[in-house]
Amino acid sequence: MSVSTAPETDREVVTRELISPDIPWELIVWNDPVNLMSYVSYVFQSYFGYSETKAAKLMMEVHTVGRSAVAHGTKEKMEAHVVAMHGFGLWATVQKGNDRG
Amino acid sequence: MAKAFSAGRRGITGFLEAPERDLLRKLFVDIITMLEPETPASTDPLAALIGLDMDVSVPTDPALLRLLPDAVKNDADSALEFRQLTERSLRETKIGALRAASLGLESDKLVLDAEAAKFWSMALNDVRLVLAERLAIRDEADAERVHQVQDWGEADDVESYLSLVYNFVSWLQESLVQAMLAGLQRRP
Repeated sequence: MSVSTAPETDREVVTRELISPDIPWELIVWNDPVNLMSYVSYVFQSYFGYSETKAAKLMMEVHTVGRSAVAHGTKEKMEAHVVAMHGFGLWATVQKGNDRG
Repeated sequence: MAKAFSAGRRGITGFLEAPERDLLRKLFVDIITMLEPETPASTDPLAALIGLDMDVSVPTDPALLRLLPDAVKNDADSALEFRQLTERSLRETKIGALRAASLGLESDKLVLDAEAAKFWSMALNDVRLVLAERLAIRDEADAERVHQVQDWGEADDVESYLSLVYNFVSWLQESLVQAMLAGLQRRP
């Protein structure tokens, strides 16, 4: 019995890992002592199209908490965003999201 | 003396004296030189087209690493793989912004549309990132230490000179970004 059920369980786990389309990925922007608060806010508004209020909230989170998940979505989208952030000179990374924060 | 940038009907305008323009031009050229890839683009036309670079490695110069940071934390393999796919085009993006800003230095009066202002803000930011690394600005206290250096009459060593340059470029970027934000607020 155990022989026949074990592979079944394995397959299920592997399948879930590979095909799940909506594993959320996150774009994290990290604090640094160089980037101006106004500039970070400008990037969030102009690049993501965020409102002044939302951009300010995320910028303050980066500044006070040290990091903020500023975008969520597919791995490909987050990777495009991280290149754009590096183009602007912001310190950003992508990671598989733990929550939808 | 330079004048702060301001947003008006004709876009964003600013004014820089000749020595200030010379200084910025030198800084932009320095950073373009840092960013130019050490190896020519791949001879494989497809690889060249998409900017793929299998020979890329993590920069050893911390200032260059700050311009081209790892995109994945705590996973050197993934970060390097991502670098192979994207670093060359990121270098080109940055060089493009620095060149565009350099071109704008031909006259003392600067008139920037939204695109030119974006390139200017990116170029000034990259200058600040590199200067900050040279000045060992690691936290807010370091930033404050550098900010205290304001007197050109006391620029008697490399560090105080670099600090003054950093503070000038910071002031210029802040005034530019304030004008850009004012422009964004007027968006319909």
